[in-house]
Amino acid sequence: MSIQVKLHPILQSLVGGQEVVEVTGHTTGECLENLENRFPVIKQLIRDKQGQLRPYCQILVNSESVYPKELTTPVEDGDQIDIVVFVTGG
Amino acid sequence: MLTKDDLTRYERQILYTDFGENGQKRLKQAHVVVAGLGGLGCSASLYLTCTGIGHVTLIDCDRVELSNLNRQILHYEEDIGEGKSISAARKLAKLNSSIEVTPVVKKITERNAREIIKEANLVIDGMDNFETRFILNRACVAEGIPFIHGGVHGLFGEVTTILPGRTPCLSCIFPEIPHRQVSLPVFGVAPALVAILQVTEAIKLLAGFGSLLTGKMLYFNGNTMDFTFRKLVKNQNCPVCGTKEV
Repeated sequence: MSIQVKLHPILQSLVGGQEVVEVTGHTTGECLENLENRFPVIKQLIRDKQGQLRPYCQILVNSESVYPKELTTPVEDGDQIDIVVFVTGG
Repeated sequence: MLTKDDLTRYERQILYTDFGENGQKRLKQAHVVVAGLGGLGCSASLYLTCTGIGHVTLIDCDRVELSNLNRQILHYEEDIGEGKSISAARKLAKLNSSIEVTPVVKKITERNAREIIKEANLVIDGMDNFETRFILNRACVAEGIPFIHGGVHGLFGEVTTILPGRTPCLSCIFPEIPHRQVSLPVFGVAPALVAILQVTEAIKLLAGFGSLLTGKMLYFNGNTMDFTFRKLVKNQNCPVCGTKEV
């Protein structure tokens, strides 16, 4: 099962500029864990100390928000997960 | 009606075929609210003013601080301690005395947001925090007023144009309002660039030409100089706009 994770530009800078990372998993949560195992620095930015997704991050599957099931939504081969970071500065 | 001075002042943009005198008249009749006079709001209001928006309202409750001056280009050293909307309005009035600039020193809240924006043709997001952005998003959806969102972090930026009832709103993407964050890194060029993109959207929307950043977020990465897009989809269960007719 191959899922593409499309990274927000802020996250791309943490993985050497890659925009898309291929991961495996049956749910969004499994896919994110797969990503975080390969790039631990991403986990620090998108998860809090309890392992919950930080509120300024959202997960889209095939462009649609999966809130409030950001970590439990099933995914299928060929799906695309977007990690969106809300940049708040002005 | 455009005056002789208008035709001279705006000559170079009136020459733009899709815009013309009719586009300039539309800008002259328009009222834009700039919410926040920080890095985004200063640059946005500067270009709204010089492009000839007839009425620009500037709203901010903060005062100018030394640490603002790396990016908030309408505030000078001599303005430290003054209300940001007052400081900005004074410069803009000198730049273009033919338009109306209204400074408002007020905090935007759930209670007053709709009243503040209800006469506007569109609202420019110049905020620096999640909470007020979501208040404005809700108020714009409720009043049916376009909301041009911009945000920055370091050398990153994002822009999208929200047309209530027709496009995804901020709450479609972020149904839960994130907590307030501590000071973020910002280079002055990032909000300047994002604000200019916001004003570009405003000009096209008000004058009625071109295509808009609707249903998509434009991301700017200043580290790599990449511009990328993400498609945004309207959330039918959105707590703000989900029940509205599409």
